[in-house]
Amino acid sequence: MQPLDPAIAAAARQAFAAIVGVDHVFFNEEDQLSYQDKFAVDDALHHPAGAVAPATVEEIRAILKVARERKLPLWPISRGKNLGYGGSAPLLAGSVILDLSRMRKIDYDEANGTVLLEPGVSFYDLYDFLKSKGMKHWLSVPGNSWGSVLGNALDRGVGYTPYGEHTTKICGIEAVMADGMVVRTGMGALDGAPTWQLYKFGFGPSWDQMFVQSNFGIVTKMGLWLMPAPESLMGMDIEFERPEDLGPLVDALAPLRREGLLQQSPTIGNWLRAAATLTTRGEWTDKPGALSDEVIAAIRKKFNVGWWGVSLRLYGREDMNKAAYAVLEREMGKLKPMSLRPTTWKTGEPIEATGWTGTPLTFPMQNANWHGGRGGHIGFSPILPQSGKAALAQFQRTYACYKEFGMDYQASFAFGERHLINVNAVLLDKDDPAMMKRVDPFLKRLIADAKAQGYGEYRTHLDYMDAVADTYDFNGGALAKLNRTVKDALDPQGIIAPGKSGIWPTSMMGAKA
Amino acid sequence: MTGMGVGAMRRAGILILLGFSACSSGADNKAVATEQSKGPPPMPAPETISSRPNAGPGERLYLDKCAMCHGPAGMGTGLLTRRMEQPLLEKRTDLTSEFVMQAARMGIGNMPAIPRGEASDVELKQIADYLSAEKESGQ
Repeated sequence: MQPLDPAIAAAARQAFAAIVGVDHVFFNEEDQLSYQDKFAVDDALHHPAGAVAPATVEEIRAILKVARERKLPLWPISRGKNLGYGGSAPLLAGSVILDLSRMRKIDYDEANGTVLLEPGVSFYDLYDFLKSKGMKHWLSVPGNSWGSVLGNALDRGVGYTPYGEHTTKICGIEAVMADGMVVRTGMGALDGAPTWQLYKFGFGPSWDQMFVQSNFGIVTKMGLWLMPAPESLMGMDIEFERPEDLGPLVDALAPLRREGLLQQSPTIGNWLRAAATLTTRGEWTDKPGALSDEVIAAIRKKFNVGWWGVSLRLYGREDMNKAAYAVLEREMGKLKPMSLRPTTWKTGEPIEATGWTGTPLTFPMQNANWHGGRGGHIGFSPILPQSGKAALAQFQRTYACYKEFGMDYQASFAFGERHLINVNAVLLDKDDPAMMKRVDPFLKRLIADAKAQGYGEYRTHLDYMDAVADTYDFNGGALAKLNRTVKDALDPQGIIAPGKSGIWPTSMMGAKA
Repeated sequence: MTGMGVGAMRRAGILILLGFSACSSGADNKAVATEQSKGPPPMPAPETISSRPNAGPGERLYLDKCAMCHGPAGMGTGLLTRRMEQPLLEKRTDLTSEFVMQAARMGIGNMPAIPRGEASDVELKQIADYLSAEKESGQ
């Protein structure tokens, strides 16, 4: 797609400075570089013209007015740490980053277990805040907790606890629309309602999800439900020997998840996860191409892991966890796993600082160094039914594709209540131009392969937003037409994040690839 | 979602701590040895602002802006363990203010550049001065 004329953004710089102060307008070359996508596959794409960082809703409205007058697209970021999906970079080069990371207010309703957050609140901020209040509620954190709580929920990020499907824990949003109107959803639409964070739907249509993975408004506040600190945490880490063990494992876990015995969403992952985080590829082999069966065997031996592993956790009252644990043990025992390690914790005991206890973490991103130099990852994450047969077939087709393209296989199958997400973190070596050239055809093949099965992705990198949106093609792409109709009505000039999730206003359809 | 299981998390914690034990002070070595004798050592909890209520301004900013990656179990610490004898920035004695500012603003290795919207020039200078200040004996 064609980048915008940089003169449009440059001319707005003074006007932005008049609103937020010269110290919060960032347009020099170093600024432009610092907001680029750190994990980009093609470093020439998605360059911002600069950034402006407001501190209030009123400043955002004033910035929008300037942007509308100049037809200048803004790309809102909460903290810009959506690494693997584009980070702080805009889809359309020449856009101005609307950096909301200065907005860091936390309102806590301890009695009801809810928070009302601004976009700049990070998982570490919320962790620190809750810790200072005695940790009566736990967070749910993603594998990279460097980013914004609000931003992660708005991109449908996922965590490890029973509250791990973050987008479903949103309760009430405040957003600034492209025309400057400030709207509150749900009970927040009723001025002074004490129930904004308590009931999700309000009266009439419910709009929270309208602002999720969309470009229909700039979210400035988000209500979020927090899990009451559990009395007990019990579970097991289980390893499985063979690739084909995936199918029976999915079929054993799915009914436990659906009936609610398992309240968190387990993630079945393969042997590369620990190795990619804790070691570099050069420690295992100097051969190019996908890792051989001999190397896989060596990795599994060193870390004592199976082809697949899964961790199951139970949260809540100890009596109930003990009863549920017995069922889990029985059901998992039927599968004859390679190993089964129980874990248990009770209030008052030292707590493990992991994602299972909602403790923020960044070390999983160490896999950026898997190839030994500058790296990163890009996600490919189709949604599958909760079927062992479907999961195994998806694994087999995808793994063959990894081998064909010479990429190392790192994947997981993450449960929801009724679905699986097959999360592939394709590990990049930015110092290997030959490999970087293979990434785009590889990703396009994976998207087409999933589409041929009727599968679509739940989330994608900037590079593939149009391609993934195009796979949602029922009735001639009716959903895309609906999204465009809404975009045309709310933001016909495409001021807010044009191209996000494949949504462009009619006036910018020429910018679509 | 990075999708790391708890088994991998715990192993990562173990290896990170083992990495420390090779290069940190004697007191730390003893702590690790004691934990190992009881089984796998736990991952260290993140250090955040409320962990150090008496932190000075530069230290407070370091906790706010850097410690998530450069604290005990962070990504930056994990990767620096592969390259440095002392992976913890707060314990390094070779950091200059200029180097810290350059590394943060431009990025270095797998550390992404930190935009001015996240840490202003004034804040970054305070952090850099804190990390490059002469360390008290025993650190």
